[in-house]
Amino acid sequence: MAVSVFGELLITAGLVLGLFVVYSLWWTNVLADRAADKQADKVRDIWAHQDDGSGRPATFDSKDGIGFLHVPAMSGDEILVEKGTTSKILNDGVAGYYTDPVKATLPTSGKKGNFSLAAHRDGHGAEFHNIHKIEKGDPIVFETKDKWYVYKVYALLPETSKYNVKVLSAIPKESGKTKAGHYITLTTCTPVYTSRYRYIVWGELERVEKVDKERTPPEELRG
Amino acid sequence: MYGWIWRHLPGNAWVKALISLALVVAVVYVLFNYVFPWAEPLLPFNDVTVDNQ
Repeated sequence: MAVSVFGELLITAGLVLGLFVVYSLWWTNVLADRAADKQADKVRDIWAHQDDGSGRPATFDSKDGIGFLHVPAMSGDEILVEKGTTSKILNDGVAGYYTDPVKATLPTSGKKGNFSLAAHRDGHGAEFHNIHKIEKGDPIVFETKDKWYVYKVYALLPETSKYNVKVLSAIPKESGKTKAGHYITLTTCTPVYTSRYRYIVWGELERVEKVDKERTPPEELRG
Repeated sequence: MYGWIWRHLPGNAWVKALISLALVVAVVYVLFNYVFPWAEPLLPFNDVTVDNQ
């Protein structure tokens, strides 16, 4: 009798663990995509209404999201970028820019520095799932209300320690740069399904385009 | 354990099966809404940032 109860408990534990995998890899994506879509719609809506004299304030709250990241080599979808890299923010299926331990320099500021971002590799939207498909020379485009910031990937670091905060530096030396510039850094966890190491992708600003009336994307995102 | 639950459910086999199904759904609901979200941050599967802690 005791043995059969023990056996049933083991089977139950196995089922619960199996359900946890389903939860992590599927259900969190469902929730995150829903949240990200909602927030992205809100940002697009604010952008669309800022100039039309509807009486909405011209400034908007950066906690709603500051723009969209487009990385055609990694994902066909746009990724909303919000402030902060806490799990509460990232779990909504967005990318977050670092405020800690090294503060990111926003491209909109115009200053030289590093625009460092993090997002999930698996679950919670898995926005950076295919980060390993990015190669040197691939474009990373950051879209704001008025501008397209076109970056080009120039260095990859497929595996580094999770304590390696130097990758976020204003001049990321490990990427081979020694001078200040307009850089972008994508960070996520690796290998897939674990958090043992971090995967880093660096890009440098190539040019900035003005957004036109039709929001025509830069050529890197066409075709 | 499961045998004990089955024997203590009321009604005939069909009713028992229906109640069992409802119980399973309730357990999965509680796991997905409360237990897993609580357990997830405690497990080292989903840290994506670099930090110095």
